[in-house]
Amino acid sequence: MASLIHCPHCGVRPKEEFSIRGDASLIRPDPEASDEAWNDYVHIRSNPRGRYREHWQHVAGCRRWLVVERDTFTHEVFAVTDAASSAREAGR
Amino acid sequence: MSRTYISRHPLDDLLPLEPGIRAVDHLDVPRSSAIVSVMAMDGEEASVTAGLAASGDVSIRFTGPGEWLAVSQSETPESLHRNLSLLLAETAYFVDQSDGRVVFRLSGPNVRRILAKGIATDLHPAIFEVGTSSNVLCGHISINLARTGENEFELIVMRSFAIALFDDLKVMGREFDLSAGFSVRG
Ligand SMILES: [Zn+2]
Repeated sequence: MASLIHCPHCGVRPKEEFSIRGDASLIRPDPEASDEAWNDYVHIRSNPRGRYREHWQHVAGCRRWLVVERDTFTHEVFAVTDAASSAREAGR
Repeated sequence: MSRTYISRHPLDDLLPLEPGIRAVDHLDVPRSSAIVSVMAMDGEEASVTAGLAASGDVSIRFTGPGEWLAVSQSETPESLHRNLSLLLAETAYFVDQSDGRVVFRLSGPNVRRILAKGIATDLHPAIFEVGTSSNVLCGHISINLARTGENEFELIVMRSFAIALFDDLKVMGREFDLSAGFSVRG
């Protein structure tokens, strides 16, 4: 587990200050989408060995949602961005 | 039906009424502080930052992007809330937190070694400079930490966590004979 996270608002912090929600690459399906699409969105997760994008919340710090891109094998952290700005970049 | 409410500090039964012998490392607990949370309206972060900087005898603590705690030892909660509301009426929201938070003032030559037992953030004097403030985890309790002097830090905690944090701080400071008492300043 990556143990130090560089929060864009608070600086370098221990992972204990964060709460992890999971995969940040999922996109919520259309309300009219098939049951299968919704089942995949709600329940099905990959468990990659390697690079992964996740939603982390800095609960004990600035309380912002962040997108943490890290390697689940080497524990290297590649990028941490505010979730609002990465959603804006993705046009959402 | 009318009720009489009594203002009580959460540490009233845990700290002596009269100041005791003060060690070099000391935990000073103000009986009351005026604390107001400030949240900038969307897109107004920069103007609120500038406005707060010009708000006079008020200490501003960073809690998150566009969010701060304004702290004053000299103003009443009512006057602090009123003054800030008048100053930044069009750009920020204000909520009085004075009864909901407790301030601890920790000072002394060993202050960083005491804090290091509960806080993993780098508090080196060159990194965490005087005037810096941030929300951090102390043990299992989220607090707002501010460096208010060369070897002085203020911790602001939710009122319901004050006793637990006080117990933690006593344990963290035991090695240095940390003393504790209500502030004589008020
Ligand atoms: Zn943060």
